[in-house]
Amino acid sequence: MILFSPLTPLEHAARHVLDWLHGTVGLPWAWSIVALTVIVRVLLVPLTVKQIHSMQNLQRFAPQMKEIQKKYKADKKKQNEELMKFYRENNVNPAASCLPMLAQFPVFIALYYSLRHFAHEPASQHPGSLSFLHFIPSIADHTTSHWGGFVLLFVYVTSQMASTLYMSATVDKTQRTIFMLMPIVFVFVIAHFPAGLVLYWVTTNLWTVGQGLITRRLVPKTPAPAIEKRTSRTPPRDDGDGGGNGAQRGPEPPKPTPAASSRSQPPRKVRRKKKAGRR
Amino acid sequence: MYRLGVAAVWLYRLTFGALFPTTCKYHPSCSQYALDAVRSRGLVRGSALACWRLARCNPWSRGGFDPVR
Repeated sequence: MILFSPLTPLEHAARHVLDWLHGTVGLPWAWSIVALTVIVRVLLVPLTVKQIHSMQNLQRFAPQMKEIQKKYKADKKKQNEELMKFYRENNVNPAASCLPMLAQFPVFIALYYSLRHFAHEPASQHPGSLSFLHFIPSIADHTTSHWGGFVLLFVYVTSQMASTLYMSATVDKTQRTIFMLMPIVFVFVIAHFPAGLVLYWVTTNLWTVGQGLITRRLVPKTPAPAIEKRTSRTPPRDDGDGGGNGAQRGPEPPKPTPAASSRSQPPRKVRRKKKAGRR
Repeated sequence: MYRLGVAAVWLYRLTFGALFPTTCKYHPSCSQYALDAVRSRGLVRGSALACWRLARCNPWSRGGFDPVR
């Protein structure tokens, strides 16, 4: 109780916003939660857009990053440190920052407590239906108390996976897989939460996915990597292993080469290129 | 006394941190930094350091390798 007492103002604030959305704006309670989520996410838009931009910027440095990963393949800790140094030097970073994520924390807690109170207080204190889209009878009840809750949980798992796919561009594949599988484990915990809280979650996840899709379309991928790839792959004629050191050379133009002298070689090279591209 | 801080970080890691998986842009991550800070500097100074790190862990910062010094 002592731990939670500082959170009561938060709960009151959340309840005020919900009351306003329900009473003044005229939304049903469930849609008020959706609207509250949207308000929170709109406030966080500048933060997430900045992050997505930095993730896209990172594509330019993919060859150098791969090199670091190869170099410190045995020592994961060292690899991480070197990658982080590299990010810092080049002013890029694929990972999310903790602060925007923590900004959602008070909203989440406040919503949890207000929904718990919803379940205990008489219906006169929150007039209007607590149902959502006719398949969830009450957003204050446990998610698994009705079949509709299972549908919501399924949507939660899918949306959480999708948002992880869009937002966490971690270099470590195992870490990413763990994050992807996390919602399946947590669904058992979440099942005991009020359905309204899961609704908040689903909305925020869908927002993340939508935001990711829109920003990826609006901000085109930097054309730099394609040019770099071409330049690094043409030299093998002379050197053998180019290594992709990021050192840009001005190779001889490949177009005017007279194909008549050796017709058998060019197709082989094309095949090699394709294989390397797939891998 | 510092154990209180360690317990708080683990409570966060097992609950909210696990529910909202995000990767920190710093290394060590903010939660690991908090653990290191509380262990080496004590609860009060360690918590202050951890809070300062959290404030730095925003979208405008560079991130990168940043251990407790």
